[in-house]
Amino acid sequence: MSLRPGPMDSLTETALDWLDRFLPLAGSLVPGPQRLDWTKEWQAELWQLRHGQRRACQRSLAGIASLAYGLVADAAWLRLDWARDSARGSAASCLFTLFAYCLLCAAVELEIAGSLGAFLRVMMAHLFGSFVVVAVPAVVAAVGTYPLRPLRCDRQHAGLKRVLSARTRWNLFLVAKVGLTLALGFLISVVATVPARMAVGRYADWVELIVSSLVVTIGLRWALLNQEQRCQKCLRMLSEPTRVGAPSRNFLEWSGTELVCTEGHGLLHVAEMPGSWCWYDRWVELDPSWGGLFGS
Amino acid sequence: MSSGKLSHSVAIILKALSLGYQFGFEIMEVSGLPSGTVYPALRRLERDGLVSSNWEAEDEALKEQRPARRYYELTRVGKEVESTATKRYPLLSRLIPEKLVKTV
Repeated sequence: MSLRPGPMDSLTETALDWLDRFLPLAGSLVPGPQRLDWTKEWQAELWQLRHGQRRACQRSLAGIASLAYGLVADAAWLRLDWARDSARGSAASCLFTLFAYCLLCAAVELEIAGSLGAFLRVMMAHLFGSFVVVAVPAVVAAVGTYPLRPLRCDRQHAGLKRVLSARTRWNLFLVAKVGLTLALGFLISVVATVPARMAVGRYADWVELIVSSLVVTIGLRWALLNQEQRCQKCLRMLSEPTRVGAPSRNFLEWSGTELVCTEGHGLLHVAEMPGSWCWYDRWVELDPSWGGLFGS
Repeated sequence: MSSGKLSHSVAIILKALSLGYQFGFEIMEVSGLPSGTVYPALRRLERDGLVSSNWEAEDEALKEQRPARRYYELTRVGKEVESTATKRYPLLSRLIPEKLVKTV
């Protein structure tokens, strides 16, 4: 029995021609750097369908429709995976996650309050009754002790021509993150003390004060530490921690950990032991010529 | 990806690769899985380091008057995961026949 394909009927031939023309359209879904390879791979697969030793069922209309679906599913998967990779550790995903948690907590509280009016009244009472008393001094203390180190991000990296300066973006992101963290802390403290309020009434205010203090302290600390571990240029989380130096040379040479921006904008040196010569993490901006070593 | 998280279809794809089937269409044909499953699974396996891919040499493809194919093969980790999957799903060996001839 010969495995060579027999002649195709005109409908199948038309469907295959349509699939050939559809390929560039589906390819537009694929992220730019992978598009050429993806198109080449699928062209080879479609050639196989047309000319290879295939089973008859795969050259039927249903087989071609299934292949068209697979082609789109493949392109969509690559796009989603790329989007997920791009969003991972980015400033936007951080703010989005905080905002989503705020919405979730607000929805829970709204459900408990029963109506929008009651919800707003509860929020106002708790905000000015206890949360502000805790949050304002904490924010003032955090701002007062936050080291105002110079941002070193003056070099122009490819693909990063933005309207706002690096410093403005850095500060705006910090303000937005702290704001959302405090809002989330406030909503968590309100939601978490609902059972106490039901059990002991107004005495629950003391519980709320303690919970607020905890969430504000933890939240602010997280927001500032998180800021330290971001690239000063693209605000993405730094990664690939690498141990550099030897602990026995702490006083003579560099010893600590290096984190790198995956886009190749710079390195963060975190000293093993902060000293008078290095009392905070040191950001070293990489020249754009280093870009070739990194993914983008 | 640990073998504990392997789906049945991914185990089939790994088995097909271990038996010498090398490109998407070939795997689809031998496994009976649709293209919407095979290609995204291959991408995921490659991302997770279980599979690596390389392009066929152009002159090799030209000799057979067809476009160059992208060939997939199991990495060392992929082979370990595949053998675990075969132990877990013993019928896999009977489901997919060994590749005997080179696909044209």
